Amino acid sequence: MGNKQTIFTSQQLDAYQVRLFHRYRDLAPQLVPLDYTNQPEVRLPYELIGSMPELKDNPFRQRIAEVFSEDGEGNMTLDDFLDMFSVLSEMAPRDLKAYYAFKIYDFNNDDFICKSDLEKTLNKLTRNELTEDEVRMVCEKVIDEADLDNDGRLSLEDFQHMIVRAPDFLR
Amino acid sequence: ELFQNIQVQKEIIANIRTKPWPIRRKLKVLKQAREIVLKYEGRLTRTRGYQAAGADLLKKISRVLYNIVVLFIPWEMRIKKIESHFGSGVASYFIFLRWLFGINIVLTIMTGAFIVLPELLAGAPFGTTRSKTIPKDHLASAQDLDTIWSLGARLSSLIFTGYLQYSVLFYGYYGNVRKIGSAGYRLPLAYFMVGMAVFAYSFITLLRKMAKNSRMSLAGASDENYTFCWRVFCAWDYLIGNPEAAESKGAAIVNSIRVSISCIQQTQINLSLAVLISLRILANILVLLSLTGSIYIIYFVVDRSQKLEQEKPELTLWEKNEVSVVVSLITMIAPSAFELVAQLEMYHPRTSLRFQLARVLVLYLGNLYSLIIALLDKVNSMSSAVSRNLSDSTSYLATISQSTEDNLSTIIPDITERQNSTLTRTLLEMQSLLNHTVLYEYNTRSQQDPCWETYVGQEMLKLSIIDMIFTVASILLIDFIRGLVVRYLSDCCCWDLESKFPEYGEFKIAENVLHLIYNQGMIWMGAFFSPCLPAFNVLKLVGLMYLRSWAVLTCNVPHQQVFRASRSNNFYLTMLLFMLFLCMLPTIFAIVRYRPSQYCGPFSGQEKIYDIISETIANDFPLWFSKVMSYVTSPVVVLPALLLLFMLIYYLQSIARSLKVTNSQLRLQLQNVSYSKLNIIMMYFTRLQAPEGSDKKPEQESDITSMESSARSASPPRRNGSITNFESPVRHGNSIRTITQSVSRPDIPRAAGATQSPTHTYPCHMLHSLISRHSGYLGSTSGSCRSKSYHNMAYKPCTRYAENIHSDPLFRKTLRPMHTEPAVITAQSYVGHRAHSTRYVIVNEHEARKKLMRSNTRLPRHYRLADEPTEIVELYPRNVKCYIPRPPHRSHQPHLSEEEEEEDPKSSTRRGSFRQSKRPRPLSDRHQTTQFYIGDTINSQLSMEQGLYGDEEEGDQEEDWVNDPQTNIRGPESAHRYGEPYVKPKTKHKVEPSLTESDSASLASSSDQQNSSTDQYIQVIHNKKKYLKSNAKLTKTKSKSSVKLNVSGTNDLVCSNV
Repeated sequence: MGNKQTIFTSQQLDAYQVRLFHRYRDLAPQLVPLDYTNQPEVRLPYELIGSMPELKDNPFRQRIAEVFSEDGEGNMTLDDFLDMFSVLSEMAPRDLKAYYAFKIYDFNNDDFICKSDLEKTLNKLTRNELTEDEVRMVCEKVIDEADLDNDGRLSLEDFQHMIVRAPDFLR
Repeated sequence: ELFQNIQVQKEIIANIRTKPWPIRRKLKVLKQAREIVLKYEGRLTRTRGYQAAGADLLKKISRVLYNIVVLFIPWEMRIKKIESHFGSGVASYFIFLRWLFGINIVLTIMTGAFIVLPELLAGAPFGTTRSKTIPKDHLASAQDLDTIWSLGARLSSLIFTGYLQYSVLFYGYYGNVRKIGSAGYRLPLAYFMVGMAVFAYSFITLLRKMAKNSRMSLAGASDENYTFCWRVFCAWDYLIGNPEAAESKGAAIVNSIRVSISCIQQTQINLSLAVLISLRILANILVLLSLTGSIYIIYFVVDRSQKLEQEKPELTLWEKNEVSVVVSLITMIAPSAFELVAQLEMYHPRTSLRFQLARVLVLYLGNLYSLIIALLDKVNSMSSAVSRNLSDSTSYLATISQSTEDNLSTIIPDITERQNSTLTRTLLEMQSLLNHTVLYEYNTRSQQDPCWETYVGQEMLKLSIIDMIFTVASILLIDFIRGLVVRYLSDCCCWDLESKFPEYGEFKIAENVLHLIYNQGMIWMGAFFSPCLPAFNVLKLVGLMYLRSWAVLTCNVPHQQVFRASRSNNFYLTMLLFMLFLCMLPTIFAIVRYRPSQYCGPFSGQEKIYDIISETIANDFPLWFSKVMSYVTSPVVVLPALLLLFMLIYYLQSIARSLKVTNSQLRLQLQNVSYSKLNIIMMYFTRLQAPEGSDKKPEQESDITSMESSARSASPPRRNGSITNFESPVRHGNSIRTITQSVSRPDIPRAAGATQSPTHTYPCHMLHSLISRHSGYLGSTSGSCRSKSYHNMAYKPCTRYAENIHSDPLFRKTLRPMHTEPAVITAQSYVGHRAHSTRYVIVNEHEARKKLMRSNTRLPRHYRLADEPTEIVELYPRNVKCYIPRPPHRSHQPHLSEEEEEEDPKSSTRRGSFRQSKRPRPLSDRHQTTQFYIGDTINSQLSMEQGLYGDEEEGDQEEDWVNDPQTNIRGPESAHRYGEPYVKPKTKHKVEPSLTESDSASLASSSDQQNSSTDQYIQVIHNKKKYLKSNAKLTKTKSKSSVKLNVSGTNDLVCSNV
């Protein structure tokens, strides 16, 4: 019966949305109107999104913004913004998180994490501190470990299979 | 039923969160689903509506309550803030602290409610009994307050011997009166029970928490080797929001990756092995030395303080507190020493951290243990002293009484015999008097001996307090002052303070957690002897929480080597459990082994503390209970019980082992499955890409006879394709869009392939592909508006699937005889056939679409029906349509039976199963009442037909099928269609179950128009196809006219029905 609660209660949803809307608006008060009744087409540029404290220090901030934005360039509408927060929130289901994590790591959007994606990931993660050899080796290892179907790249299933077993993933 | 529809909608609503859709789409789907639920839920019975509303309200209220509760979770905001700055590692320390705080709250409530409050309220008031009065000399010393220095002395003396010693804080205060107050509260019993309950509760909560954690983390999977993957993909802590933390995290990641690379490469440290080993041995020796040293020091200090206490009447502050100060100092200094030593060893950082933790834990345990052992030792000597005292006093008493007797006897003899009796009486009186005085003397002497329980409790409390002081001091000095110095003096110093030597203090999670565990261990150890210890600990933890969080936020940097022990990890908890067990042991030992103090505490006068239980059982319970208890505690019961327990443990363990094996096997299987799944997908794709010929091949094996059949056989592979499609959408509940794509994809290449195939098979393929494409199109256009009413069908994917499988072999059989049949039939069957396969593709995607597909693939005459202007009549034909595609190939079975006798039994059995799977399907949407009536009338009418056919049907298979059309109500049309006599009755028959569904009645009238138009369109195609087909054997005109007549006939019929 009261199935609405499985998503949000309406008040809750309102509360979240309102709060997030204010967050969204605070990023650029001059751009975002308060009145959203006629669905204005407002996009916040990536520079603003990426400067949020939640993302500011994240090496993947640009990628996150790209994945969640509709135009794929990190410029976000309010809907994208809400999407991002709902996925990154604590309450998001695990599979959903895994799905989006996969998308985030899939830099070239080909639905597979291939070596170039991995290299990018590593370089972002370590701020280019690893040598090329090391990076190459880690990439090989990663693919070796997680690639169940031996196609030399990680599909979403490989990724999910691997990541749901990670001890820290659920946090 | 309608209810099922609602259920489906609810499922959609419930699962929407897990869908990776953009929020706009989610909202749209959610709104739709909710609308349906709201719309139809009320149509069910009124009570159900109320129920729903009630449940809704309840959920809402509980949600609100939950939110309120969340508001009251202590320090949630604070922890979140720390989490955002330092990542979840540091936060886990605070969460752990909070959890401990919760436990201590419960312990405090337990002791407070059942021990302290009753004693305060109903117990003998302060000063009335001896154990509750402060001796005069102590009182004097407790009140001297001259200098600043003596303030501390006074504080400590308060704790030791002042007021506090004789307060509810300690064991000694509690009276040994069995029942107190007007209600007769059994305080001693309660005291004992609560003391045990403290341990029991701690154990239970700990174990439950651990079990929950292990359930949360996929425990069995941890042995899988994904080190690099996790290092890369799970390394970043997405909660970090602080540049410093981010930097250190990045450094840590680089570090860990390098380390694992070096692990792989097996490049060991460049030092020679001998040096390394000797260094490690040296380090271990150092650690061992320091451990033993600390233990010895503690023992020595306890011993010394004991001696001092005996020798000196008045002790200084240091002398009084030296034990706890020394213990606290050791606990503070030794870990740093261990850390220094660990640098010698040059282990892998993770290993060294583990070593460090293990050593610190051993140190803490050693401290606590040596302390408690020393204390118990002291208690031992104390109790022996008491017993000596006691024997002294008795001997003293004896000597006195003897002497008095002697005196009396020497004095008295010369008194006359008459006075003898009175004299003896006075003598007795005197003796008793003397006894009293002696006893009093003894009492005043023994009052000097504090009860050992209070003493132990005092030590624990002292230790706890001193530990708190030291913690605060260390936070202030080591972290805060250091932070200040580093920040403000780094400019005027020759090296960079921030990055070189002093740096900022790191927040060492593991050590701090260990310290918390140690602290909690102290509480458990002392809780029995000092009931207020948990309460004190609550205060301490609160203070620690604030101080630590402040210190962390102001002057700490996160540890570089983060020990991964998060919420889902049981590491801390395991250590805590270990600690609890080890701390419980001495207490239990003391309870069992030592005799309670004679003159203080609730158990005074008893031989053993636990005697209170047996005493209560003996005195206050009915006789039978004590009897039962004596039986239960006798070896006769205990031994088997123990045995049973062992057996149980063994059994459970073996089960766990087998489960583990199963687990690993399942994992293997999973891997295999993922391989095979991939293979299937690959095969599917290759098939799609390959030309038509390759598709046909498997079918050609079955029926090679004619070109027609080979061409036709293109449909089975498609069905295969559809099946593979089918699986995935049902399982994943994926979006519609993706499936339509997958549907249209197979169709188009086939069509392309079909164009290449020769002669008259060509149109068939073409048409077919057209149909399927159009149906797909239709489905997508009208699906959205119709989807609601058909959702109830979605429940049956499994049965459909089964049917699908059933029908598959059927088709092959029917195909074979076909080339001998009249062309119309083949064409028809073919259409049905095709329709069937395509329909399945769409069944999987969406019910509405499936329906449409069916209607599309239906024979032309039925399409005509759809053109009827009246809405109601329209509805009826659609109903008919929906299930007609099936009949055609059904109807071929009789042919089969006629022609190929040997196949008949098989096919008939198949058919039976077919029908079975079909029958349970009827689902009625009876919310649109008027239409429902219509459906009903038709239904009944048709069921009459069905009755007729049902009777005939069994016989049909061998009998002449031409008879059937006559019984058909649609006499005219069947008469016209001489080519399809078999089809007709069967369709009729099949219509019946479909009508019972009557769910098409729920179709919105708006969608009907659209559908009718599309139906027309399809009909044209069908007609075309008919022409083409009929070229082979029948004349166009005939087939066409038959169709038309058919249509008109049915229309009339339907109208009359209405």
